[in-house]
Amino acid sequence: MTAPAWLEVLNETMDACRTHGRADLAERLRRRRDAPTGQIRLGVLGFPKQGKGYLLNAVLNAPVCAVGDAPTPAVPTEIAYSAEPAATLVGRSRERIPVAVERLTGELGARPAGTLSRVEVGVPRELLSAGLVLVDTPPVGDPRSPRTAAALDLLAEADAVILVSDATSPLTAAELALARHVRTWCPHVLVALTKIDASPGWRAVAERNRAMLAEAGIDAPVQPVSAVVRQAAAKAGDADLNARSGFPELLNWIAEQASRPPEQSRALLAAVGVRAAAAELVESLRDRAEAAGQDAGLGQAALLQRAQRRADDLRRQNTKWQNLLSDEITDLLSDAEYDLRERTRKIVNTIDRTFDEGDPAKVWDDFAPWLDNALAEAVDVNYTWLADRAEWIAQAVAACFGAQYDRALPDLRLDGSGVEGLDDVRRPKIEKFKVGQQAFTGLRGSYGGVLMFGLVTSLAGLPLINPVSIGAGAAFAAKTIKDEGGMRLQRRQAVAKQAAQRHVDDVFLRFSKECRDSIRLVQRRLRDHFTGLAEELADELTHERETILAGTAERERRTVHIRREIDRLAGLHQRAGELGTIAGRQQRRELSA
Amino acid sequence: MTRDVRDLLAAASGLYRDDPRASALLHDCANRLEQPLRVAFTGAPSSGKSTLAAALGEWPTRALRDLVLLDDPGPADEVPDATVRLVRHLEPDELAAAHPPGGSPFARQSAVNSVLVLSRADEVGAGRIDALLTAKQLARRAWREDPLCTGFLGVIAVAGQLAYGGRSLRDDEFDLLAAFAAVPREELERHVLSVDSFTDPAFPGPIPVETRRSLVVRFGMFGVRLALTLIRTGCDDRVKLSAELVRRSGLGELRDTLAGCFVARAEALKARTAVIRLEALLAAQPRPGGDRLVSRVERFAAAAHDFRELRLIADIRGGRTALSGDPAEEAVRLLGAQGTAPADRLGLEPDADPGEIYDAGLDALRRWRHEAERPDRPHAERTAAHVVVRSAEGLLALFT
Repeated sequence: MTAPAWLEVLNETMDACRTHGRADLAERLRRRRDAPTGQIRLGVLGFPKQGKGYLLNAVLNAPVCAVGDAPTPAVPTEIAYSAEPAATLVGRSRERIPVAVERLTGELGARPAGTLSRVEVGVPRELLSAGLVLVDTPPVGDPRSPRTAAALDLLAEADAVILVSDATSPLTAAELALARHVRTWCPHVLVALTKIDASPGWRAVAERNRAMLAEAGIDAPVQPVSAVVRQAAAKAGDADLNARSGFPELLNWIAEQASRPPEQSRALLAAVGVRAAAAELVESLRDRAEAAGQDAGLGQAALLQRAQRRADDLRRQNTKWQNLLSDEITDLLSDAEYDLRERTRKIVNTIDRTFDEGDPAKVWDDFAPWLDNALAEAVDVNYTWLADRAEWIAQAVAACFGAQYDRALPDLRLDGSGVEGLDDVRRPKIEKFKVGQQAFTGLRGSYGGVLMFGLVTSLAGLPLINPVSIGAGAAFAAKTIKDEGGMRLQRRQAVAKQAAQRHVDDVFLRFSKECRDSIRLVQRRLRDHFTGLAEELADELTHERETILAGTAERERRTVHIRREIDRLAGLHQRAGELGTIAGRQQRRELSA
Repeated sequence: MTRDVRDLLAAASGLYRDDPRASALLHDCANRLEQPLRVAFTGAPSSGKSTLAAALGEWPTRALRDLVLLDDPGPADEVPDATVRLVRHLEPDELAAAHPPGGSPFARQSAVNSVLVLSRADEVGAGRIDALLTAKQLARRAWREDPLCTGFLGVIAVAGQLAYGGRSLRDDEFDLLAAFAAVPREELERHVLSVDSFTDPAFPGPIPVETRRSLVVRFGMFGVRLALTLIRTGCDDRVKLSAELVRRSGLGELRDTLAGCFVARAEALKARTAVIRLEALLAAQPRPGGDRLVSRVERFAAAAHDFRELRLIADIRGGRTALSGDPAEEAVRLLGAQGTAPADRLGLEPDADPGEIYDAGLDALRRWRHEAERPDRPHAERTAAHVVVRSAEGLLALFT
């Protein structure tokens, strides 16, 4: 015999359920597939205190189920045919404990919660003799409670379901939701409206329930019943009263369930199960796709926008800091040179004044150390000022990077560069004055030292014309030479003046070159430093953007995958629907991606 | 207690003088201290709130005189001082939903202002004639054993429809019921089996269907059956039947609980409402200088002995302490369950002379001090005894 068509669809759907992490749905389908043949299982479901136990007892005309005051057991009770009344407790590990039927309630109460998986009861009833099994379930309630889970577990194997709701009020929203869920998984559902003996308004409630079910698209008849009337009818043997209890119609419906051709019934159940599972799976996949989409939608766009904004900022920053650096360096070059020129010009003025009146042969010994000091001081102050400006420029450029600039400034110390080049500064050629050698060696040492050790901060900030230089000028001027006059003195004065001026010029040339070099060095260092920083930031940004884009691609890939899966499930859903039609039942609308 | 609250409200009024809404609220709080206690009836739709409120409300007794019953006030409406919470079944889901909301630590610690009612007790056990007894047992068991019932001053089974029907039983209704009861039982039985059979045109006798229908709508099928049984067994006039229906409905027990736990503590419960509203105001609109008021409110809350008494009464009656039998009876009496006057607490006649009261009070104080200091008793029990000692001390303090 070839495998029935529904089996293939069912197996495929089971695989899909497992793939998408819904082992519970797969297990439900598996139980549907492997359900024992030759049994029709009829489940009874309902919220607490709706009269489930009374209904079942009235169906069987026997006090099988616990009713009323005692809370219903937390495990299902399966009631099947047996020649003699019998009851068995089935434990968690399938151990079977036979108990006397009349002691069943007591035995159940004595067992600790969670040790049983179900109760089996056998009763000698004609109704059950063809293989009908009635399953009483724990009351449905809080969706998270194990009791509710145990009750809904019934849907894996039930061929038909009776939903119990009492006539004191119309179906609640929760009951309606339960009806919808049950009808999705089980093709044959009946709503039993209980307690009509005690409810004056039961007819209106029944009508209201029918309308609500129809409105919700739930295909289930409503059957009003009264267990009390049924019991009284049984006691009195009153057929007329029994007819009023509503139970004959209910029993007819039950018998109809039991008399369906088994193969057709199985196909229909499989088809309904596949459709229910596919629908649930599609719903969770859609949720997932939607969540991913939302995640991508909002977050992604915002991230990209932010990255874009940062890239723009960075571009603006690059232009800004480069301009700033080059402007500042140009200014510094001219300022530094001007400053040095100004300082040396004042020294030259003093030299002029000194040798206009003084005799070099007399004042040279005092003059040489003064020149030495004045030059050293000029160079020092200029240099300090230059280093300060360099530092300031570095900070100004760093400020262009805003809050992103979180590292140390580059090392701007200008150590020792070009000192060796100063050795050949020409000395004044006035040998007969016998001073030059020491004086200029000292001078060279002085500003070489400045260059060597960076900033001599104690000298920083001294005014350009200080008391030392003024005093020196005055002292030299006082040393006038009375005896010597005429050409000789004038010649000596001219020679000394020239020699001193040339020396100052030499120092100026040398040192201004030194300054320019230093400033260029500062420029290069700052440029390298900030270019590196800008590149790093750009790299970071690129990387970030790539990550975002890669995430989008991955999500898109996943969404496409989910859509494909939804399509596949929709296909299965449709095929199951066709099977269902073949099995003799019109199916409702199809799924679509 | 009321004076303390008044002082607090006056201090708060100074603080919020420039805020018309807050001032109005504080003014209302102060006024409410003068007004009757407000008891709200809450519960899911069709749990029988209105029926029960009506049954209680028309009761012309001294015990419930100073009570205003509010039928399911919305959250925006006035704040009730106490609550009667109705459930149709003692099922975990319903009980979980019935739990009073939290609030400030003081509100939670003093949450001794609600009673749980298993309404529609006549529906228990498919309307068997012993339904009400079964319902009472269920309620008692739930109160003692179900942790979800811990916060309530009582769990009481009441058949609201029966109570209301019984309370408002008319002569013509009694005559009708008596006429039905006169029909031989066997003959009548199948006609009172269900609403349909009771309103069937085939019903014997000349009573119109509509009359029968209105009877069953008023009393329910259970009520009709019970009334017939009662008439047959001796309730042969309207007053007797009415009293018996009401007695069986559980309404009396509810009334006694309301009288003992709510009316007798009206001052404390009203003060509680005012303090909770004041707390909420101080928290929602803090003001400079409000800190001092907040700590005064805290001091008040810590010192409020009434709530400890109420909670302990509920615990002893609900079987949640080790006390039972005579000591339990004496404890709840001393705690004020049967009235908060010294004579009531000591179980003396209302006109007992002060010397007698003083001696009895001193005697009770000595005995309970002993209980509170017995090292062989569990801590919880000694703590409970301490509360009783404090009550006895308060009683004696009236003589100094």
